[in-house]
Amino acid sequence: MANYFNTLPLREKLNQLGVCDFMDSSEFLDGVSALKGKKLVIVGCGAQGLNQGLNLRDSGLDVSYTLRKEAIEGKRDSWKNATENNFTVGTYEELIPNADVVINLTPDKQHTAVVNAIMPLMKEGATLLYSHGFNIVEEGMQIRKDLTVIMVAPKCPGSEVRAEYVRGFGVPTLIAVHPENDPQGKGLAQAKAYCAGTGGHRAGVLKSSFVAEVKSDLMGEQTILCGLLQTGSILSFDKMVEKGIDAGYASKLVQYGVEVITEALKQGGITAMMDRLSNVAKIKAFEISEELKDIMRPLFQKHQDDIMSGEFSRTMMEDWANGDKNLLKWRAETGETAFEKTPAGDVKIGEQEYFDNYTLMVAFVRAGVELAFETMVQAGIKPESAYYESLHETPLIANTIARKKLFEMNRVISDTAEYGCYLFDQACKPLLGDFMKKVDTDLVGKNFNEGKDGAVDNRKLIDINEAIRSHEVEQIGATLRKAMTAMKAIKTA
Amino acid sequence: MLKPFVYIQNLNLSYRNKAVLKDLYWEVNVCQNWVLWGESGSGKTSLAKAIAGLIPSQGSIEINYDAQSKLPAEVLFVESWYQFKNLEGVANFYYQQRYTSLQANDTLTVHAELVAYGKEKGLHFDLVEPILEALGFATFASSQLIELSSGEHKKLQLVKALWLKPQLLIIDQPYTGLDKASRKNLNTLLDQITAEGVQLILICNDLEFPESIDSFAEIIDGQIASSFSREIGDLPPEIHKRKIPAFLKESPIYSSTDMVTMVDVNISYGEKQVLKNINWEVKAGEKWLLQGPNGSGKSTLLSLINGDHPQSYANELYLFGNRRGTGESIWDIKQHIGLISPEFHWYFDATSTVWKCIASGFYDTVGLFQQLPYSKRAQVDELIEYFGLTENKNELLTALPLGKQRLVLLARTIIKNPELLILDEPCQGLDQQQTRYFNQLVDELCSNGMTLIYVGHFESQLPTCIEKRILLEKGEVKVVETILESV
Repeated sequence: MANYFNTLPLREKLNQLGVCDFMDSSEFLDGVSALKGKKLVIVGCGAQGLNQGLNLRDSGLDVSYTLRKEAIEGKRDSWKNATENNFTVGTYEELIPNADVVINLTPDKQHTAVVNAIMPLMKEGATLLYSHGFNIVEEGMQIRKDLTVIMVAPKCPGSEVRAEYVRGFGVPTLIAVHPENDPQGKGLAQAKAYCAGTGGHRAGVLKSSFVAEVKSDLMGEQTILCGLLQTGSILSFDKMVEKGIDAGYASKLVQYGVEVITEALKQGGITAMMDRLSNVAKIKAFEISEELKDIMRPLFQKHQDDIMSGEFSRTMMEDWANGDKNLLKWRAETGETAFEKTPAGDVKIGEQEYFDNYTLMVAFVRAGVELAFETMVQAGIKPESAYYESLHETPLIANTIARKKLFEMNRVISDTAEYGCYLFDQACKPLLGDFMKKVDTDLVGKNFNEGKDGAVDNRKLIDINEAIRSHEVEQIGATLRKAMTAMKAIKTA
Repeated sequence: MLKPFVYIQNLNLSYRNKAVLKDLYWEVNVCQNWVLWGESGSGKTSLAKAIAGLIPSQGSIEINYDAQSKLPAEVLFVESWYQFKNLEGVANFYYQQRYTSLQANDTLTVHAELVAYGKEKGLHFDLVEPILEALGFATFASSQLIELSSGEHKKLQLVKALWLKPQLLIIDQPYTGLDKASRKNLNTLLDQITAEGVQLILICNDLEFPESIDSFAEIIDGQIASSFSREIGDLPPEIHKRKIPAFLKESPIYSSTDMVTMVDVNISYGEKQVLKNINWEVKAGEKWLLQGPNGSGKSTLLSLINGDHPQSYANELYLFGNRRGTGESIWDIKQHIGLISPEFHWYFDATSTVWKCIASGFYDTVGLFQQLPYSKRAQVDELIEYFGLTENKNELLTALPLGKQRLVLLARTIIKNPELLILDEPCQGLDQQQTRYFNQLVDELCSNGMTLIYVGHFESQLPTCIEKRILLEKGEVKVVETILESV
């Protein structure tokens, strides 16, 4: 199979990368009716599979699960998840032939094998649904011409998809129709109905393409979302310990700090996050984040280039073929870092203290979000997509770190994201070596304002505020956040 | 002279810029055991938290522990509302998840929780077992914390307190969510630990407290007013003079004469069966009382009706005339129902204002995600006026005293004039006066022909409109009866 994106002429590459349309709520007035009475069969019952299925069933749709024979006979967790929640479970042979829509929610790595197994069983004119386009775009999977291929990708972990649904809301979602597989022209209507069934239509839906979703998703998760949060957390912790800050305090500051800091990001973008700092601290954070952007720009660009050319997926698939050698090695190394092994101390850290004593992370987040956004937009991805895959998702990933540190983050995200995260982390740490030598405890571990009188130059502050507020990620963010009303405030630890 | 055990002088405490305690002075002498009461919002809980050092206050709080005592020199405060955490320490995950199978392994078991607590406090595990027995809690050892009902959570907190035996034990609403037998046993256990040297402060407005209670105080205008008798002033409840909104006088529009029909309903979590062969019919306009000991399956039964339980798809269940699992969504079901439960209250959106909370009842959502048309906005305002909440309408729900929060949630349940009102222990944590007021409202609201299912433990504190009763025990229906005389 050839990389699908690379088979396209430049015109079509740009065309598909540029699909991006924030959908009006009036597009969802038909609710789930396009799927009403249809048989929906979900392949796989992990966190996404189970929670999407629970939502769809509670929206009045007919949902069952198909699992590999071994998973059923071995009564594995996926089987238990489905049966204990009273879903019908059957083998591929039992359920796929009658399915109107087959939903593939297995891990990326298994897609080729799964799709090869189910495709011959699917009935004429049925629909195959993905929640990530890697298999189609990067692996170039060819789907039978009579089948419709669509994507519905909730931009949240599975547990959130459920929790938001039961409170009557939803999570922001991305939908797409594969242009090579829409023989009856029903793809978009079905994708919208599925999205309504999971509750996503209430929280903001972006119409995208398989290509745009994959290329932006990979970029976001490798750089700002997982990669830089991991690098920043480890470097910050090590620096504090090196400078004699209590390890328990350092561990707690890093574990929960990124969640508290990015909560401001979620509510009001980079502007709100930076405004939580005192004026002196804000100026400092701005200056070092500019420096960080210059240092890391080539690395962000390399990741984007490798994603666009298919080099990233090629090397990752080599690692799959190699029994995940690199992935497992890097995973083990992450588990051995001092940050991961030091439990959070039993100290109270106030909400504002997380900003004042962890100014370095504020700088990391600003640098990473802006760089990821800029690099994606320069590569032809629309600002709306770039916003979702950078700023929007950062607080969600930060939330996983607060739960169980990097282990939890890497457990919750996909293997593909995890692989890309380690790749970035490996390259980024040495790159920041000289920078980190200059960092002292005023930026991480102690209150930046301590011993300073707080005086600033008016002109300088005005210029910095202007630079922060006028960045394109802030402009587009303000518009999109308005549409995604009622964001839940994360409780601070 | 012997110093008082607790000596409080010039204590001042504000909550959201409002002075709650003003130059409060209080002595708790050695060997005394107190009951503290006061109106909703008078500052009882704040005072307790200040004594326990959980919230900052101005003034002096001196606690003179007995250095000779073997008991731990600490103050333990048992909250009226307990929020549990999953393994990762994340509180507040939404209540419906307790019914979904995947999430269940995310919290500790009761046993593991107690082992961890014993280890932290250096307590012998042998000593907790008699307490578990006395409170009827031993059978829950292997239960996940998330599976526990509200009453069971309260018991777990009490078990810990009785096991620890701190020199000062303060319990906020000790009887919340406990059934009759548990309440009696709790008093016996409290008497036992006071005999061993524990001193008690109980915050409650009920009349049944342990024998060892010998002192009484009330908070009035931010100060302690001591009294020396067990007679709690039985004030007449505020008579409701406001006019009921016209839209609530109209009879609800019934979609069917059958609200709920259950045919041999069974629910199990793994090996544990929580409901066994339940058969029950609720007809339009009926007023039911649902009762049963803690853990008998009441909350699970109600979650089937409310559309929350995933296993409802595997049972023969008819709601509002339709078989469950025939293409309806849970929102179609919830549209017929107004609901309050302790769990729902626990997990309610902390960022919601009173007005938005009530308005969200139109859409059955936790949080308001839609613009209301003018007619609906007017209804919200009218109802707020009727409930006497106008001055609170822009405040955060969580900033109000518990009694008012419950009124807000009641208002939320009836804003759409639903066919079926489900009130699962709606008065848990409220005092007698508030309870009476609340139930008078329920009587008045239900007089338009609304169907009611009411869960309550205290027989003396029920709405008078109740006419039928169903009793559950260990997941089975024990009694279904028509009540001839008002309860």
